[in-house]
Amino acid sequence: MAPAVRSRGFIALALLPALLLFLVFVIVPIFWSAYYGLFDWKGLGSAKFIGLGNYEEILQDEIFWRALKNNLILVASSIAGQIPIALLLALLLLRNTLFSRFIRSAVFMPMVLSTVVVGLIWGYIYHPQFGLANAVLEWLGLESWTRAWLSDPKVNMLAVSIPINWSNVGPYLIIFIAALQNISSEIDDAAKIDGAVGWRKLISVTLPMIWGTVVVSLVLCISGSLKAFDHVIVMTGGGPAQSTELLATYMYNNTFDVYRYGYGSAVSTMIIVISALLIGLQYALTGRKKEG
Amino acid sequence: MKKSQASRVGVTLALASMMLAACGGNNEGGGANGNAPAPEASGNNGNGAKQEKVKLTLWHNFAGDDLRAKTVRSFIDQFKQDNPDVELDAQAIPPDGYRQRLATVAAANEMPDLSFVYAGSHSTELYKAGLLQPITELTDANPEWKGKFLPGAFDPYTFEPNQIYTAPLGMSATSILYYNTSLFEKYSVKVPTTWDEMLAAIKTFNDHGITPIALGNKAPWVAQSTIIGSLADRVTGTEWFKNAAAQKDAKFTDPQFVEALGYFKQLVDNKAFQEGANSIDNTQAEQYFIQGNAAMMVSGAWTLTNLAAAASEEQMKPIDVTVLPAIPGGKGDANSITGGAGGGLALSSRTTGAAKEAALKLIYTLSGPEAQKAIAESNSMVMYDTEIDQSKVTSLYYKAFNLVKKTGITPVYDAILSAEGAEALNNGLQELMMDGKPEDVAQKVQDAQARSVTP
Repeated sequence: MAPAVRSRGFIALALLPALLLFLVFVIVPIFWSAYYGLFDWKGLGSAKFIGLGNYEEILQDEIFWRALKNNLILVASSIAGQIPIALLLALLLLRNTLFSRFIRSAVFMPMVLSTVVVGLIWGYIYHPQFGLANAVLEWLGLESWTRAWLSDPKVNMLAVSIPINWSNVGPYLIIFIAALQNISSEIDDAAKIDGAVGWRKLISVTLPMIWGTVVVSLVLCISGSLKAFDHVIVMTGGGPAQSTELLATYMYNNTFDVYRYGYGSAVSTMIIVISALLIGLQYALTGRKKEG
Repeated sequence: MKKSQASRVGVTLALASMMLAACGGNNEGGGANGNAPAPEASGNNGNGAKQEKVKLTLWHNFAGDDLRAKTVRSFIDQFKQDNPDVELDAQAIPPDGYRQRLATVAAANEMPDLSFVYAGSHSTELYKAGLLQPITELTDANPEWKGKFLPGAFDPYTFEPNQIYTAPLGMSATSILYYNTSLFEKYSVKVPTTWDEMLAAIKTFNDHGITPIALGNKAPWVAQSTIIGSLADRVTGTEWFKNAAAQKDAKFTDPQFVEALGYFKQLVDNKAFQEGANSIDNTQAEQYFIQGNAAMMVSGAWTLTNLAAAASEEQMKPIDVTVLPAIPGGKGDANSITGGAGGGLALSSRTTGAAKEAALKLIYTLSGPEAQKAIAESNSMVMYDTEIDQSKVTSLYYKAFNLVKKTGITPVYDAILSAEGAEALNNGLQELMMDGKPEDVAQKVQDAQARSVTP
């Protein structure tokens, strides 16, 4: 008993510094900004308490809903894009050959690039006059498909989500490879004896074995997409006419461009609430699937 | 990003409360700034006993490699040399993040002694928050210097009668019409002085596969600052705009403003701008124009500075400058460009005593006669009556310098509108470039402006 208690005390002690930092710089500001969301405040001068006024305004602001919709498009595109692509590549590149290591590094590379660089590169790819995307389409004889990718509101969310997915596949690939390598060889052998190969093995053996990892990746994916900010700020700044506005850029613009700190704080609180809701929903869904 | 944003706000707030607490205690501390834990405090080799060094902090955004920034920095260095008793901590912050960073320290009541502020809502907000103090004693002490500023130079900084808060370092001229004379000659197009000639020119250039007007409106202030301000002023006259901005007897939903937006829409409908103008930035548009892909570009004096740094003299030779064409039946002066006083150094209300004296001296160093002439000769407009040496500047700048001397100056929209109103107009113009209607945009501008002006 005694050693257990002592070690528990030691664990608490060892965690304390990190926990304190986390509390002071992450948890407390969350409540703080929720509190400041109750004020009409320009960031300078005095703040006027307006109760839930900011939150009411948010719910009535069509730009907020558009930003939320754009964020959900990003969430959908990263769940449909990043996770399956990363899983597929992980299955293909599991072996430690020179070739697969090369491909792995290549897929991981954009993750190492600064997002500003990624944004600038893709900004040039999409450039309406000299862009690579349009040039390739013209070369293929698809002139009618060329367009100003980042300023045409019909396609610009899609155009923006491609580089975001491109630069985020890498980490999931690594996570999946690690998980796949953790499946012990006995299970492989057992599956072989039972005659489970190919597709069947993937569905009945491999996926269930790494399901925990998939769920964690989904959480990372959802929260990552809800926090998305940097790529969009560099490529479009949320424009034109707020057509690629995300929750985070909407908050940033309100806070730092229009000097509505109170309103911006309220928006950031909404982002947290929405993230929590989505992740809760996702846990409920994936949890049931696991039982079934 | 969300987390770090939140923590940034948190840290700011924490600092704010600490600073507030600290300020209560050290009133007699004068202009000393709490944010310099420098090692000098513990005795300057023992001989600093007689006279303590005056500490002065300065934030500015002359961080770039362009001539103007270098010129201003050289004057700062000069000041340091001439005033060994002043310990100047000058922070050069890149322009892109400058306003945000200043807003953050302002929220924490931790403003540097001197900070570079912009005309319009930026400095007004700081003034309203009680963070600035006037520098009138400096202008009163140097009447000759004050007298040589161009009319209106102090208007945006006269927050209360007879009190001047800063002297502008430069001038913003935001709606110069740049045009490529060789393209105009090649297709024998007349340089437009009326709206019909403008539309005719646009049609001719489009027929020949030349972009009529290069525009980079990704950062959405560009179309507003360079085109609509001047265009709208020609239609409505300056008086109406000032009233509408103050929401007195005029509204942005008034027919004349809708008409002005309609002229912008006409440019869009006639394909005056290259495709995707909303997704490339102003610098890319400048490149596109200087390479001869576009016949015209409406841009500010900053383009002179950028071109001086990036383009060859040969590329610049065929470029000439003029004003936007007149609008039929317009109430405003057609021979005008939008512009006004540029930014200047503002003095923190917390700075007193010796630090204040040093600060005023530094303001004079950076916006005095010598600095104004040097800035003007760095291919950058000034709001000050000075003669420049033609051999020191680019030919294009010299043309623009002389053009601006002859034209009237009308207000830049986002310098007068509230931050919210300007944002609504910026986004509205992007909407017009997509599928928006002038009436809807006018309504949005009106709503935003009304909300921010009425308390």
